[in-house]
Amino acid sequence: MDEERTDLELYLDQCFAQDDLAPPRLPLLSPVVPDDVYMPNSSNPKMVFNSHLEEVKETPGHFSSVDLSFLPDELTQENKDQSVIRSKHEIEENCKTQSQQSRLSLPREQDIGLGLIGSSSLLNSHSHLYPADADSVQPSLEKPNSMPLVSITPMTPMTPVSECSGIVPQLQNIVSTVNLACKLDLKKIALHAKNAEYNPKRFAAVIMRIREPRTTALIFSSGKMVCTGAKSEEQSRLAARKYARVVQKLGFPARFLDFKIQNMVGSCDVRFAISLEGLVLTHQQFSSYEPELFPGLIYRMVKPRIVLLIFVSGKVVLTGAKERSEIYEAFENIYPILKGFKKA
Amino acid sequence: MAYQLYRNTTLGNSLQESLDELIQITPQLALQVLLQFDKAINSALAQRVRNRVNFRGSLNTYRFCDNVWTFVLNDVEFREVTELIKVDKVKIVACDGKNTGSNTTE
Repeated sequence: MDEERTDLELYLDQCFAQDDLAPPRLPLLSPVVPDDVYMPNSSNPKMVFNSHLEEVKETPGHFSSVDLSFLPDELTQENKDQSVIRSKHEIEENCKTQSQQSRLSLPREQDIGLGLIGSSSLLNSHSHLYPADADSVQPSLEKPNSMPLVSITPMTPMTPVSECSGIVPQLQNIVSTVNLACKLDLKKIALHAKNAEYNPKRFAAVIMRIREPRTTALIFSSGKMVCTGAKSEEQSRLAARKYARVVQKLGFPARFLDFKIQNMVGSCDVRFAISLEGLVLTHQQFSSYEPELFPGLIYRMVKPRIVLLIFVSGKVVLTGAKERSEIYEAFENIYPILKGFKKA
Repeated sequence: MAYQLYRNTTLGNSLQESLDELIQITPQLALQVLLQFDKAINSALAQRVRNRVNFRGSLNTYRFCDNVWTFVLNDVEFREVTELIKVDKVKIVACDGKNTGSNTTE
């Protein structure tokens, strides 16, 4: 991952050096400081300018694009798409490492496809060049000396630094599947393996457990297996491998094909009480809240596609993720909304 | 058909050894004796046993196959009102009891 980033940066450095596209440095209008802070063009130019004074001086001739509306639709459309997402890693990191690193190295983030609102068209064009990067997720801490592409046009309301939550959801459960690629005799497995249950009248699989990592596996006669209960992706994979080894030691030609994480569950605590009634009134197209059925509000976030269970106590459960970043992103999305419904 | 679970107990093994020693009885008769033993011991444990023992230990392994549970526990304390017995390892084989639940320990 590190190598990718620096290669990318080097390439971009070359491109920017060659490009004529950068207008002469304009008075700095709202470069993103930190990344998720978007100030309207006309507002606080001086303040922004001052805050970035140092970087500006160090890096003359770098882009500070102001208004992207002249760009062809395709690129600006990407802007809009990206603006819906926010890089939640970014926000977390930015909360800790603020102005200094914020706007800089935007190209890297853009290419990773993490929505910086109002990202410059040039950054978008680079994301064309690196479509693969657009899908990769992990942003990194931005280096202070990287390209200070400044993007201006705010596409979504400004979120001040203070809204960064500083809370990291903890993963509680990972469900994964793997194909052992051989037919299995479940009765033989149940008779010879330790810690196994097999009741074919009730369920057509062997239920096996191991203590480290503490997980449960459902092993089917087709050779497919489901592994549940791990607290991290690596643990889930390790546990699945252990089960495969158990099966292998019993004499079956087990392999380890198509390991895939199917679901990840995380939870966290916002540490304030939430008014679920208010939330369901304003977000009714996403929420369902039936206190007589279930005490939590079920919030189905569209992007990323995550379901959140939000409780009055302020505890939040997030589920439905295939990647850890989706959990983090969903929480960073919901946190400002929840803050708006803090109970007096 | 009563469980043949209790043939591998102190009582059941003694019976089997005795039957083996009685060379004059036919194997078929020996089998009938054992079947009768199965019925007798099952009904005796179900009807005539009233006392209760608690036990507690740590679970080493478990297995459930053919409706039979097999447990191996470590560092087990068997506690009856009158007395306490400590054991390092115990294997429990348990079959489904229709009404009362029956099990045996070895």
